[in-house]
Amino acid sequence: MINFKIDGISVEAKKGETILNAARRHGLYIPTMCYISKTTPCASCRMCSVEVEGVKGFILSCNTPPTEGIEVRTDSSALKQERTNIMKLYDVNHPLECGVCDKSGECDLQNKTLEFGVAAQNFTARDQSRKIENWGVVSYDPSLCILCEKCVHVCNEVIGDDAIEIKFGGYSSTIIPKNSDKLDCTFCGECIAVCPVGALISSDFKYRANAWELSRIPATCAHCSGGCSLEYETRHVGINGNDSILRVKNNFEFTSLCGAGRFGFDFDNSALKDAKEFDKAVAALKGASAIRFSSMITNEEAHILNLLKKELGVKLFNEDARLYRAFMNAYASISGKLLHSGSLDAIKQADGIVVIGSMIATDNPAVRYAMTTAARHNGAKIVYAHPVEDVIMQNVVTQFMKYEVGTEEGVIALIANALLKDADLSENERAFFNSLDIGYLGAESNVGEEEIALMMKSFKRSKNRVLVAGNDLINHARAANIAKIAGLIEKYTDFSLVIVPKEVNTLGCALISDLDQDEAISSVIGYNAVGDYTLSSIEKADLMMPSLNQQEGTFVSIDNRVLPTNVATHFGGYTLNDIASACGIAKEFTVEYTKDLALYAGFKAVDFDALENFVANDGSDDRGYLLDEIECETTTEIEEVSELPEFNGTVVYHANPVLQFNGYTNRSKQLAKESDLRGSAQFAVAAKISDGDMVEISMNGLVVKRRFVVDERLKGTIALNPTFDISVPAGRYRFEKSNITRVTNE
Amino acid sequence: MSKVYFSTWMGELINNLNKPEEEWEQSAYNLPAQYDSHRESKAFIGWDGVALFDKDVDVIRLAMEYAAQYQEYSEACGRCAPGRWGGRILYDMLDKIARGEGSVADMDHLKEIGKSMQATSKCEIGKTVPNPILDLMTHFEDEFMACINEKKPSKHYNAQVGYIAKITAPCTDACPAHVDIPAYIEGVRDLRFDDSLMATRQTMPLAHTCGRVCPHPCEEACRRTNLDEPISIMALKRLGADYETDHGFGFFHPMEKKADTGKRVAVVGAGPAGLTTAYYLAAEGIAVDVYEELPVLGGEVTVGVPEYRMPWDKYAKDIECVRDMGVNFIMNHRVSKDDMRRFESEYDATMIASGTRISKKVYCENERPEITGYWGAIDFLDRVNLCEKFGYKLTPEQRKEYAIDNEYVDLRGKTLACVGGGFTSMDVVRCAIRAGAKKVIMLYRRDEKTIIRNTTYEEYHEAVEEGVEFIFHSAVAKIVDEDNVLKKLIVDRYELVPDPNGGRPQLEKIEGASFELEVDYLIPAVSQSADLKFLPEEWELEMTSWATLKTNGKDYMTSRKGIFASGDCEYGPMTIVNAVGQAKRAASVMARYVQTGEITLSDEEIMEDHLRKLKVYNKKEKITGWLPGLPRQHSEILPVDERRDNNKEVNLGFTQEEALSEAERCMRCYYIAMIAT
Repeated sequence: MINFKIDGISVEAKKGETILNAARRHGLYIPTMCYISKTTPCASCRMCSVEVEGVKGFILSCNTPPTEGIEVRTDSSALKQERTNIMKLYDVNHPLECGVCDKSGECDLQNKTLEFGVAAQNFTARDQSRKIENWGVVSYDPSLCILCEKCVHVCNEVIGDDAIEIKFGGYSSTIIPKNSDKLDCTFCGECIAVCPVGALISSDFKYRANAWELSRIPATCAHCSGGCSLEYETRHVGINGNDSILRVKNNFEFTSLCGAGRFGFDFDNSALKDAKEFDKAVAALKGASAIRFSSMITNEEAHILNLLKKELGVKLFNEDARLYRAFMNAYASISGKLLHSGSLDAIKQADGIVVIGSMIATDNPAVRYAMTTAARHNGAKIVYAHPVEDVIMQNVVTQFMKYEVGTEEGVIALIANALLKDADLSENERAFFNSLDIGYLGAESNVGEEEIALMMKSFKRSKNRVLVAGNDLINHARAANIAKIAGLIEKYTDFSLVIVPKEVNTLGCALISDLDQDEAISSVIGYNAVGDYTLSSIEKADLMMPSLNQQEGTFVSIDNRVLPTNVATHFGGYTLNDIASACGIAKEFTVEYTKDLALYAGFKAVDFDALENFVANDGSDDRGYLLDEIECETTTEIEEVSELPEFNGTVVYHANPVLQFNGYTNRSKQLAKESDLRGSAQFAVAAKISDGDMVEISMNGLVVKRRFVVDERLKGTIALNPTFDISVPAGRYRFEKSNITRVTNE
Repeated sequence: MSKVYFSTWMGELINNLNKPEEEWEQSAYNLPAQYDSHRESKAFIGWDGVALFDKDVDVIRLAMEYAAQYQEYSEACGRCAPGRWGGRILYDMLDKIARGEGSVADMDHLKEIGKSMQATSKCEIGKTVPNPILDLMTHFEDEFMACINEKKPSKHYNAQVGYIAKITAPCTDACPAHVDIPAYIEGVRDLRFDDSLMATRQTMPLAHTCGRVCPHPCEEACRRTNLDEPISIMALKRLGADYETDHGFGFFHPMEKKADTGKRVAVVGAGPAGLTTAYYLAAEGIAVDVYEELPVLGGEVTVGVPEYRMPWDKYAKDIECVRDMGVNFIMNHRVSKDDMRRFESEYDATMIASGTRISKKVYCENERPEITGYWGAIDFLDRVNLCEKFGYKLTPEQRKEYAIDNEYVDLRGKTLACVGGGFTSMDVVRCAIRAGAKKVIMLYRRDEKTIIRNTTYEEYHEAVEEGVEFIFHSAVAKIVDEDNVLKKLIVDRYELVPDPNGGRPQLEKIEGASFELEVDYLIPAVSQSADLKFLPEEWELEMTSWATLKTNGKDYMTSRKGIFASGDCEYGPMTIVNAVGQAKRAASVMARYVQTGEITLSDEEIMEDHLRKLKVYNKKEKITGWLPGLPRQHSEILPVDERRDNNKEVNLGFTQEEALSEAERCMRCYYIAMIAT
């Protein structure tokens, strides 16, 4: 701790903390234009200059850590004058078009110009003609740009796209796409979020509303398990007065969103109450043998389904949640705790990461951004173990460990064997490692000794590591043993573990739902899933349900956090609670169940309305609550690694393109919908198909027809099959042996 | 001393206005009054003032053109609000006055904006650009006011005047390779490691290497020293290179390779100078063949510098980067006189970069190379490194010659003495420790302070930790052998005797203090000389008194047209960065030479030499606008018992946290200098 004074007030700075951050933590104000908390300082605005007693000249507070005993002055007439001059400079030739600018009303330039009372302009410079760029969902107007560099910093340091840069050139400096004419990125829109002025804006939102006309509904993103905090901004449109979501915003100072969260908001349903249809639904439910549902529901709905199971004697099917729970249970049998120990924050702070069994950048962008943060800010060494190399991750990953499809158990055993070489294992555990046939595992998985040695070498200075376990482990035939090995790594090393839940509420469903193993029986009600009678918010169904941005309720995120979400737009039809009420389970509102959620699984008896839903100005995220830890019985029994399976021929991997996750994103008008089967040129040869062919892909009973395109960024003989636009039974291992035939182009 | 008409350089005020020329007061500084052989300078304007060499200079336009240069030089500006807009406003207003359209208010606004830039700009370039402009406005106010009042253009507003500008920085100026150090540090600070690496590679292709084993003369010229401690400049270079390597990217070249020119250059030697020449020539679209005598590439950095200091896998990346530019390497080829004659006809130019590969003698009694146990440092290190890095085993003949009972250099049970004091001798003794020697002694004529100055504090300190015994003020007087096998040394002791006349203290032998040292090996590592026997005698290349190839130190052409020389064979045994700097310059000269047949320097290079002479770093300058007392970061060193018996890299480099806080200390001391001709 360093003790010093700011404006006469004694304050402390943590190691490495800057004067600016220490001031902010103590509630002391220093003006900034370019500073953003989640990146390294841009240091371009110079507004945060302060004076230090006994030191000549101004000191920049955003990038200077204090020294012991200094006395800082944040405001003096000299500082005020220079800051005012900087604001005058920012205003030089800034177009006077606030009346039509999207940013007006929430513009830092407006705010600071008023704060410093810049009413007149003494300086001029020759104006320049500058072209407005349209980069798809993002538009850029260089004449509004103040070159604060925030966009460039977040794109590189937090997102990892590194897709924009500054074209240096003094007065004519401008933001340009990096290494490309057009913006080529994952279109997260983070650059729009952080832009303090109207330079980078959403092409879709442009000219649609002023900031002050919009209502803000705090919510949790519904597309993946990242649990990102966002606000739907709504306004009535048309003459009937219904609200519509115009855009999504977030507390960009500390949190991030991917493009699906930011641009994929228009998945709300409209329906009217039709009593006849409702009665049919109730009748179907009463006569049902089972309810099959996806994890794209709230905890409260999962709870209602449990009550329905009891009331009606039906079975509950959700393979995604069931397999996740089985994985948790197996892990818990080693760790003694049900919930995984890691979190997105743990990943952000890590200096070493192993991610295995996931195409993580598209499976869960929140994990990707946390990894980018760790890579850039901590220099984390990141091992990416997967059969498919992901170019998006190249500037984050330090070692790509390619393994053969299906050999996950062998690979994690090899990794654990190296990491736990000197660990103080129990006899059984040591026996497990002694029994490993390293030569066989290495040969079958194609992970050589030198790769394991390289991993160990790169982790030599790591003290704070995370193992990220993806869906390929959870849905693996040997998931239980894999989970136990992961548990061992966590138990005996500095590694924490993150088991990535596939859907927005896989974890919540896994904890709450009393699930049965799925089976092909008749009279199954599908809720957001396949069934003989369907209720759905995702696709056309017998009875339409409210989408997840039209419901109150909670999800459990990857961070083991119970997060509230709210109604952004009105839904005129029925809810699951209405149907349950008709079946004798009566509560007026779904969120009345929030306080009843499974206490045995770590939930708390808290009213929905008592849950906070914002990220505070100091970055603290106290949304909802963290689940309580659940102690579990442990075992030291680990099965020997079984024979590793082989996947020969053309293999297809279920993996979505960026920004696509599910039927919601598929419906969102701003999101690109690349529904092709993508494979390398090598794959094309192996499958005897060519770029542009329409193909039929048969995968163990699942048949899909798609266009095939050669993607030069891919290597090897595994093609990527999107799932956002088709229904793939939950719980399937994502690699599929496939039979691909060319079909005529109709 | 320079003859000036007017100067405010470095705070001096010389004003010879209205004085007859013979009474002119002179400037105390080496100002560039003569631009090049055929052009005089009319004025020099820079970060710390302005000097006029001629009465007839249009000072208003000079100020305006200087502001214009600040606009031009995008590499260093456009990064902060005061600089970006302020710089433009300075230029626009000065131009307005120079055009004859200015007003009195413009003068005030210029002063106000200049003051804001000085106080708040991000880097020194923004802070210092107003300095000479404000000087001119103060001292030549009449001229400015005349233009304003009479609404007339400045006196040479429309005349053809050459304005040649150059961006520099104290560290960049002091670096022999003139690496754009603030840019690569900024890349680290902004976590844009690709940009960092490309900034380095503009003038220095060996980023991994010079991020590890450079003696960093730049740090001697770091302005941060004036405030607290210098930036750890060298260690920050490594981050960009590690980023490229760790993530398996292709090579980030800072330039696009130009189309094939049809020209060809031969390079003798694949050490740092040869590699550098090849890289920059290849980038210019010139076909380059590099001839290397050894079975491995990289020269002394490969076979001289040990693995624990410069891991081969990292240096190999630097070499691959050069190859990636399209350079052709021919290994195991010892160039002969006939080759050289052939090169002259087959290639458009030839670069000699053969280094200094002959260990000099220590000059003592009975110093005969045939004595077993007398082992030249270069040869010793060759054997150690070829074995450790590449697995080349000692041949039976070599084992006999060196009296080694193993396939590698195994010194277990042996005592080794090394005579030296520079980097090579440090490499010898530390390798000897790693080879298991029972006892390792360094004999050095001078004292501890000098050995640290000649190497680095870390190098000396680590050697001591590892168990090297240093005997200072000592020199070998005689080698004692039995049947041509080394037995012992007679060592004289010396002391420093102050010169009663106030001159440098002299080393004098202490009579009767000599002693005997029983040793198995004596490694002379006092210095090296160039082996230039492959040069055709009839060329009669001019040599220096140190028996190295003579050039003018600016264009690096030898006395024979089309034959160039760089690196140690030109300068004598010196640093990697020196070799790189020479070779980079030479490559630039050669690229023009093969096209035009003429030897020229670019304006950039002429300015570089002027500034080097003037010296950019001013160690007396008082630093303002930065908080003093932020400590320099030190990277982790492998503990002595984890490194003494192996070749693991000793310096683990910065953690990201250390690197960032170190980079954050950099003050970005960019400056612009400009000459009017």
